[in-house]
Amino acid sequence: MKLLAMSGLIPEQICDVVRFTQYAGERNLPHYCGYASDFISQVMQDNRIDGAVFPKSCDSTRIMKSYLEKAGKFIYPMPVPTRRDGAARDYFASVIADYQSKIEDYFGIAIRDVKERSQLINARNEQVRTLYREIEGISFADYLESIHEMLKKPLREQKMRTSFQAKGMSGHRIFLIGSFLSHVSLVRRMEDYGLTVVGDNLPESGRMLSAPPVNVGGDLYREIAGSILGARVSPTQNAMKQILAEDLEEIRQKEIEGVIFLTQKYCEPYDFLYAVYKKALEGRSIPVLKISLSDTGDADKAELMLEAFADTLM
Amino acid sequence: MAQSIVRLQSKLMKEYYQDFSKYARGKEPEGKVAWVTAFTPVEILEALGISYYYPESYAAVIAASGKEQEFLASSEREGLSGDCCSYAGCFNGCLETGGGPRGVPPKPDVLIATNNQCNTLPGWWNVLSIRYQVPLIVLDYPGEAVEERAAFSYVTRQHEDFIGRMEALSGRRLDKKLLAGRIENSKKSIAAWQAVLRYLPQKDVSPTLLFDDINFLITARCKEETSELYRRIGADLETKPDATKERIPLFWLGYPLWYHPARYLSELLREYRIVGANYLTWWNLDYSGTDPWEQLFAAYNYTFLNLSQKTRTRRLSGFIKDSGAACAVTLHNKSCKCDFVSSRDIEIPQAELEIDMIDRNFLNPQKAKRQLERLREALCTG
Repeated sequence: MKLLAMSGLIPEQICDVVRFTQYAGERNLPHYCGYASDFISQVMQDNRIDGAVFPKSCDSTRIMKSYLEKAGKFIYPMPVPTRRDGAARDYFASVIADYQSKIEDYFGIAIRDVKERSQLINARNEQVRTLYREIEGISFADYLESIHEMLKKPLREQKMRTSFQAKGMSGHRIFLIGSFLSHVSLVRRMEDYGLTVVGDNLPESGRMLSAPPVNVGGDLYREIAGSILGARVSPTQNAMKQILAEDLEEIRQKEIEGVIFLTQKYCEPYDFLYAVYKKALEGRSIPVLKISLSDTGDADKAELMLEAFADTLM
Repeated sequence: MAQSIVRLQSKLMKEYYQDFSKYARGKEPEGKVAWVTAFTPVEILEALGISYYYPESYAAVIAASGKEQEFLASSEREGLSGDCCSYAGCFNGCLETGGGPRGVPPKPDVLIATNNQCNTLPGWWNVLSIRYQVPLIVLDYPGEAVEERAAFSYVTRQHEDFIGRMEALSGRRLDKKLLAGRIENSKKSIAAWQAVLRYLPQKDVSPTLLFDDINFLITARCKEETSELYRRIGADLETKPDATKERIPLFWLGYPLWYHPARYLSELLREYRIVGANYLTWWNLDYSGTDPWEQLFAAYNYTFLNLSQKTRTRRLSGFIKDSGAACAVTLHNKSCKCDFVSSRDIEIPQAELEIDMIDRNFLNPQKAKRQLERLREALCTG
């Protein structure tokens, strides 16, 4: 079975999912996030996809099931809690168990390897963490591309590349924040313009590697819930103060010269976050470039903006 | 009758806005202040004597006063995208400039948001919490997404935690009898409002009146006077003449247009008569249960916009059938993605308009006119 998953809030410990990256979908809903529209298109049109799982965490994903329920596929909107306290962890553990049970019922399978998968994810994330610590010496585009390639594979086949193109240390030091970065080409372009990404808060990098390891000796579902909720938070999780505090600390420590804020058009969680992020960075005299992409295939305009931004840092 | 209605309306309005003007004159409110979203369990705050204000509701007042463009522009200049909910843009712009039609609400001691309406509001409240550096409480209502026992347990633990935090803020212990009384008030207000709504398809009633009067159900549902106000409005409507059948019965699927004097596109809908509107039913909360925990869970976990598409379709179909509407105007509202999908499976002719409930410049009037003409043609040939 192939489940298309949106967001790092989906528990990969339960079963393999294909992380949604990019799709040239025909669906275009007014005022609706292009990333979510493309996700809907792929679930509806791609016959290799057997189902979809996504967090019910923003207004676009909240109504996604209304569009997808006629696809005739397995559809699971996951109600990821907006809080991270004990009650939320217990509740999320019950949601994860329900997710497993729904998959087993729908596909007629028995899932028995959650513990083993949790160990594999712990190891994978540790590998990414190790690379992230060395990010200043390697190409961020290579690093990100390697993560994307890895996330498309079944968990047991997921391996990060170990050799990366070394990068020079002369570029402007950049911090990258945003939703899943479908366009790795944009990061390549940044590097071409002398922008050196040395830190990020992206779902597939900074956030994924920050998830605390699952303690497989404990209550497994509660531990998985704790790992997902314990990671660096998404702007859908109602903790913008925490995002600001953590990002600004990394920005300070790494002596960042500029921030690139990548969002999807009509993505309200990131639009709200940008409003406070911009003020916080202005207060520290750190320039920020916001790039709002209309869908997962839109990159041309962004390249021009990057070039101009690089010039302002000279 | 009309005088007693106005007196009750004035009393409720005065109570709500009295601290706005005091605050505008530089005075601090006497008690603790919460800013809340429209589906917050305010019965708890009321029982603890905490004042509460609704920024969404105030954004509607701003648009009605004609000042929304200035505030939307100001908010965008400060970094909030114009694609975001216009309630947020309009209100944030008002905070930036301090020039709301009734001043600004008293500064909050706590911000309380719920996600039983949409996920936009908690995001907006995050922005407010950074602006004011006060605690933010987000109440998470899973709706129908999970099995009911798990949802009840999760919501009740949150309500218990919420009460504890509000007791600490107010310095009072919650009197459970007082809470039960406030819930009872809300139930009475809703019952009286439902009786009012029954007149809309039957009598010659202006929908504008109801779009404005629902405000009391939003901001004052657990106050004692609200049910009395609605009872009197109902009695007044009873005396109105029956509706004539010349105009086409139409269901308004979406928000009132707060910037519009009639709250709907009256100039384009002269041939139609609004006989129902889903917005008018959103606060018909069902407080069923045997104790306050069950009642608050039932009311706030199962709000209309927190229901599955299937349940929403069933309910909405029922409202439309009861109203006798022959067609609908569906608002594809820039500011609210969660609402317009409610009509996806509704099987009466619809005109779907690109619109915003706050930003009057968002609508293309010529396009809307053509869409309504096409709706008229479909009804004639159908």
